[in-house]
Amino acid sequence: MNGTSRSRIGMLVMMILAIALIVAACDSGESVDTGETTTTAASGGETTTTAGEGGEDTTTTAAAAPEGGGILIAAQGAEPDRLDPHLTSAYASFQVLENVYDTLVQPGPDLSMEPALAESWEISDDNLTWTFTLRSDVVWHNGRAFTADDVVYSYDRIMDPDFGANNAFRFASIEEVTAVDATTVAIQLSRPTPNLLVNIGAFKGMAIVPREIVEDGTIDTNPVGTGPFRFVSSSPDQGIVLERNPDYWRASEGLPYLDGVTFIQIPDPTVKLTNLRSGEVDWVDTVPPQQLAALEGDSSVVVQRVPGGDYHYFALNQNREPFNDVRVRQAIATAINREEIAEAAQFGAATANQTAIPAGTFWSYDYAPFTASDTAAATALLEEAGVSDLTIEFLVTSDFPETVTQAQVIAAQLDAIGVGVEIRDVDFSTWLDAQGGGDFDAFMLSWIGNIDPDDFYYAQHHSTGGFNFQGYNSPEVDQLLDAARVETDQNARKALYDQAATLIVDEASYTYLYNPENINAWGPQVTGYEVRGDNAIRFVETQLQR
Amino acid sequence: MTSGDEGLARGAQASDPSHDAGAPIAEHRSRTHATVETVLRNRLAVAGLVILAVLVLAAIIGPWVIPYEINEIDIANRLTGPSTDHWFGTDELGRDVFSRVVVGARVSLVVGFVAVGIALILGVPIGLISGFYGGATDSTLMRFMDILFSLPAILLAIAILAVLGPGIVNAMIAIGIVYTPIFARITRGSVLTIRQSVFVRAAESLGATNNRILRTHILPNVMAPIIVQTSLSLAFAILAEAALSFLGLGVQPPEPAWGRMLAEGRSFFEQAPWMAIFPGLAIVLTVMAFNFVGDGLRDALDPQQRSVIESRGVG
Repeated sequence: MNGTSRSRIGMLVMMILAIALIVAACDSGESVDTGETTTTAASGGETTTTAGEGGEDTTTTAAAAPEGGGILIAAQGAEPDRLDPHLTSAYASFQVLENVYDTLVQPGPDLSMEPALAESWEISDDNLTWTFTLRSDVVWHNGRAFTADDVVYSYDRIMDPDFGANNAFRFASIEEVTAVDATTVAIQLSRPTPNLLVNIGAFKGMAIVPREIVEDGTIDTNPVGTGPFRFVSSSPDQGIVLERNPDYWRASEGLPYLDGVTFIQIPDPTVKLTNLRSGEVDWVDTVPPQQLAALEGDSSVVVQRVPGGDYHYFALNQNREPFNDVRVRQAIATAINREEIAEAAQFGAATANQTAIPAGTFWSYDYAPFTASDTAAATALLEEAGVSDLTIEFLVTSDFPETVTQAQVIAAQLDAIGVGVEIRDVDFSTWLDAQGGGDFDAFMLSWIGNIDPDDFYYAQHHSTGGFNFQGYNSPEVDQLLDAARVETDQNARKALYDQAATLIVDEASYTYLYNPENINAWGPQVTGYEVRGDNAIRFVETQLQR
Repeated sequence: MTSGDEGLARGAQASDPSHDAGAPIAEHRSRTHATVETVLRNRLAVAGLVILAVLVLAAIIGPWVIPYEINEIDIANRLTGPSTDHWFGTDELGRDVFSRVVVGARVSLVVGFVAVGIALILGVPIGLISGFYGGATDSTLMRFMDILFSLPAILLAIAILAVLGPGIVNAMIAIGIVYTPIFARITRGSVLTIRQSVFVRAAESLGATNNRILRTHILPNVMAPIIVQTSLSLAFAILAEAALSFLGLGVQPPEPAWGRMLAEGRSFFEQAPWMAIFPGLAIVLTVMAFNFVGDGLRDALDPQQRSVIESRGVG
C-alpha cells in the first residue's frame, strides 16, 4: 500500500507540474491599454501567439555604441498581425510602423497637425482644393527619391474600393489626388473638409508607401518607408528589428539618435514589467494599472501617464427589444456608477466621463446628465417602459481584460435595479464577428487614437456610419454630424458637435464610461521619450545612456 | 470448468459456480461490505473521503453559509490580505475570496461528476460492444477511440469548445468526450477476458440473448476497474475544468470557478498572492482527494489490475 501511495503522490506532483506548465505556457491576458485601433471591423483575427524573450543577444551590441545611441529593446503586448499599414488594424503593428513610415502631416506633441513629408499647404478660397508642398530631401529606405507620385499612388491605393483599405472612409470627401509637379500634390475635395489634415495624417494607417514593395508583394513582410528607422527583419525568436535610417529627412538634426529599435513581444503585463525591472528590455508599452502605486517610488522604472483621447464605452443593441426603447437605455446609463467602473478597471489611471472627448482639449464638452447610481430614476424609467425581468448579455473579451472587469462591476451595479447581466467572454476575433453580425445585447470596448471630433462620432453614431453596430438612427444627429463635417469655422463646428454629443449621450447611443490615461514605462537609461496623447510610439528623439 | 477458465475470468465471482446463473445480490452486498472495509483501512483514502465530504458539503450548503455575497463588489476594500473579516483576503474588485472558493466547489464538483458521467455513458457501452462482438465492430469503434485518445486531452477539449463555444455546459460535454476513450478501453479490456469464461459460454449455450449476457453476466464483472477509473477520472476532469476556466473557456464570469480565479489572480500575484493561492490549493486538495479515494478503491476492488488502469493527464 505504501508503494502505491508513493506512486500516486508522484503522479500528483506531476499533475501539479502540469498545472504549472499550463500556467506558464498559456497566456490569456493581453496588454491593458490597447483598445480597438480606429478601424477594426474589417480585421479578421488578432494573432496572440506567445513569444519568448527574443532579442536578448542584441542587447550586447549596445555596449560599443556612441553616446545616446545603442539599440533599444521595446516590449510590446501583442504581435503585429501584418505590416501593410493600409491593411492592418492592429495597434501592435502601428507601434512598429510609426517608426518606419511617414504621413504627409502628423500630430504634434499637443495633437495639432504639423508638417511631416509635406512642408506646407494652402487651401483654396472655396475650401475644395488643398495644395501640399512636399519636402525635396526625402529618400525611401531603398535609396529612391520620394516624390509627389508616391503620395498619389498611396492615396489612390487607400481609396481603391476593390482594395479594402481600413481607412478608405477617411478619404470619402476626396475626389482626386494629383501630382502637380515632383514636390507638389493637389487634393481635390467634393465638400469642404476642415479635418482633412487629421484624416490623412492622424496615424500611420494613411502612410505614404512606395509602389515597388506593393507591386513585388513584400509590403506585408518587408516594409520600406521614409521614417527614422529602417525595417531589417522579423522573426519569432529575434522580434522585429529596426535599424537607424542615416538618410532620414531630419538627419541634419542628428536624428534619430538610436542605432536601432528591436520590438519583442511579451503578452503578459507582469512578465513585461519584470523584464523592464531586470533590464532585459528598455521600454514597455503598458504597465499593469494595479502596479502604478507601487512603481511610483521605484528608481528602476520610469512611468509616464498622460491623459489620452481613448475612451471606454458600452453600447446596447437598438435593433433588439427592449433596447430599442430609449428609456431602457437611459435607465441603464443612470443606474451605473462610472467612477466605480473606472477605479475598478484602471486603478485611478482614468477619468470618468459621460461623453467621449476628454476634458482639457478644445473639443471637450462638459455634459453629464446622468446621476451616478440613481437607482430610483432608473427603476422609474424601466417601469415607464414596462420592462421587468430584464437580463442583458454583455459581449466582452479577455483579450482586453478590463472589459471583463468592467462587465462584472456593471453586473453588480445593475443588480440594484433588478437587471441581470450575463457576461459572454470570447476571444477578440469572435468578439469582432459577433459585433459585426449584430449578435449581442451589449458590447463593450474602447476606441483609441481619436483626435478630431469626427473620429469620435461619425462612424459610430451616424446612421450610415461603418461602426454603428448598435443600430442608432437619429436624423437629427445625422444632420448635425454631416453639417459639422463641412463647417470650416472652428467655433461653429464645435457648437455642432456639442449638439450632436448632447443627443448621443441623452439617447444613450453609446454609454460612455471613462477616458483612460496613456501609460508607458521605461528604464532610467532611456531619455527623450514622451508618452503621447494619441498613443503613437515614436522613438525618433529617444536616446540611451547606458 | 477448468482452472484455465478461472484464471481468465479473474476475481472472486467467476470461481464461484453459483454466479454463473445470474446476479448474486446477497454475495454482492457482502463484497461491497468488504470493499468498504478495505478502503477504510487505507488512511489516505479516508483522508480523501473526509476532504470530499467537506467539499460536497460546501457545494451543497455553501451559498447559505458564506460570510459575503460572492459577487458583492467593494472597491474600497480591494486586494486586502487575509484577515478576520476576509479569511482568504479580497480580490481586485473587493470580493471575498473565501466565499468564492467555497461556492467554487460547486462548479468543480458538478462539472467533474457530469463530465465523468458523460464519459461513462458513452465509454462503457462502446467498450462492452467492442469487446463482446469483436471483429469489424471492435476495430471500427476502437480505432475511433484511439484517434480521440491520441490527441492531447486539453487540446481536444479546447478544440471541442472552439466548435461549441465557451460555457459550463459545453465544458462538461467537452471533458466528457475527452475521457470517453479511457472508459471504452478499460471496459473492452475487461470484457475480452470475461468473454471467454465458462459462465458466459454457459449462458450462451443456454440461449441467453446477447443483451442479457452483456447486462447480467459481463457488466457486473467489469465494474471494478470502471469504478476505480471513475474516481481517478473525476480528479482529472476537475483539473481539466480548472484548466479550461483558466483559459476563459469554461465558466463565465462573475461565477466563481477555481481555474478562473487562478487566472485572474495571476496578474495580481505580486500584490495579492492570496487571490491565486487559495483557489489553487482548493484544486490541489480536490484532485488529491479523488486520487486517494481512487487509490483506496483500486487496492480494495482490484488489486491485480493496477497496470490496466489508465490515467490521462491534462497537459
